[in-house]
Amino acid sequence: MAAPIAERRHGFGFTAPLLGLMFIAFNLPILYMLALSIWSAEGGLTGAYYAELIDTPIYMRVLGNTLRISVVATLVNVAIGYPLAYWMRGLSPRAQFIAVALVITPFWISILVRTYAWIVVLGNNGMVNRLLLWSGAVDAPVSFLYNELGVMIGMANVLLPFLVLPLFASMLRIDDRLMQAAASLGAPPRTIFLKVFLPLTLPALAAGALLVFILCLGFYVTPAILGGGKVPMISNLLDMMINQYPRWEQASAVSTLLLVVTLAIFAGYRALDRKVGA
Amino acid sequence: MNGQHAFAGRTVAVLGIAALAFLVLPLLIVVPMSFSSARSLTFPPPGFSLRWYEGFFGDPRWMEALWTSLSLALISSVCAVVLGGLAAYGLRRGTFRGRDAAESNYMAPLIVPTIITAVALYLGFAKTNLLGSFAGLVIAHTMLNVPLVIMVLGVAIRSFDVRIEQVAWSLGASWTYTMRTVLLPNIAPSVFAAWIFAFIGSFDEVIVTSFVAGTYETIPKKMFNELILEVNPTITAVATLLMLFTIVALGFTAWLLRRGGRLKETLL
Repeated sequence: MAAPIAERRHGFGFTAPLLGLMFIAFNLPILYMLALSIWSAEGGLTGAYYAELIDTPIYMRVLGNTLRISVVATLVNVAIGYPLAYWMRGLSPRAQFIAVALVITPFWISILVRTYAWIVVLGNNGMVNRLLLWSGAVDAPVSFLYNELGVMIGMANVLLPFLVLPLFASMLRIDDRLMQAAASLGAPPRTIFLKVFLPLTLPALAAGALLVFILCLGFYVTPAILGGGKVPMISNLLDMMINQYPRWEQASAVSTLLLVVTLAIFAGYRALDRKVGA
Repeated sequence: MNGQHAFAGRTVAVLGIAALAFLVLPLLIVVPMSFSSARSLTFPPPGFSLRWYEGFFGDPRWMEALWTSLSLALISSVCAVVLGGLAAYGLRRGTFRGRDAAESNYMAPLIVPTIITAVALYLGFAKTNLLGSFAGLVIAHTMLNVPLVIMVLGVAIRSFDVRIEQVAWSLGASWTYTMRTVLLPNIAPSVFAAWIFAFIGSFDEVIVTSFVAGTYETIPKKMFNELILEVNPTITAVATLLMLFTIVALGFTAWLLRRGGRLKETLL
């Protein structure tokens, strides 16, 4: 009996210090937050904080904003990311390396810098407006910033690597001989793409899109900066409830809802991701 | 039909290049803007000057934020590599029950939206008086960087043959001695990469820091607050310096990993 017990504990000591830290700095705070959202001030369980969320129009409006912006930003990501990954697949290994480096580097650069770059590019005196004015396409600068359009552009840009990298990796795994076989049977390129290549990439595309959507739902920095306070999303609402008015219980309820939705979508993502790996 | 095929190929190339430009060009535009002589963000810049860099290095508040950011990133990245490295070793080499649960727990900060972690830490730290303390910041940053460290070191430890360690043990070496003289020298490039990733992760962290830092200012926190209030070109100089620092650190790490033949598995 001694050996199996030793086996059941072998190596646990190495992981214990970090588990301790995770409990203090992650697990317990999250549990405390969950408890705050259902514990009334007089003691006892209550659903009042959740009921208040549903009854207050502003919360519902922010929720609607968040969903709409997240869906659009995800779709824009797919529309830009799929052709990019497809193009990268056909490059020479050397060009592929450069392209991957160009996709990964922004991924590592501070999100503040990437968001700020859009203020420089899209501002009234920025490059895009200068070009539009110079070409005569518009008479007055177009307002890209501090509205939903700016937030969507910024989010699509910041999240693009999350979609492109896994999608590209899955496209690399597709055997070229499948397309060659289809071609040798007389299928035109268009049919080969639609009937052979595209279906093989759909699980990876769906997984990547779900991942981007989850990240959109909890996005904080880009909407705060490019939205200029005019495009509140869930995370900006949370910031207000914690840092401006102390409404901890409502903030806990909003966070709990967001957490549940995120974990549910993540479970879907994991199921798809396993399918891609298999 | 061939012409149609070539047309489709060209279209894909144009779309691909446009997408890359969408990713990279905004960043490249920040660099010349940081040398602009104008107060407004006019592109192209009307003249060359170093005033925004002088503004950054001459401002004691920015310098204090830089000092806080550097010490915080240094301490929390070392903590993350030590704790995360030990945990990755236990996960890869151990046979204890609940390994999957432990690993999921370590990875959770990557999946839970950072804003929720920030709210939970704010509430938890308020309860335990860690709010606005340097210790609280170190704990939070260490925890946030653990997933990356475990991913990078997990790959490295898995690819190192356990039998080499077993030989050392069978010859009577203790596990600390084996780790120091057998395992660590062999996975050194990955350890360095994990440390750099954790350092950059901490140095760039803005969301949790904004919630729990109290009166402490870090570079990203100060940058974020200034960006919300008004656009000050000093930010352009800070952004350029941050980008330069990230690219140099990443380039060096990629070079090290490539020499060790671990670049591809660490990245994808």
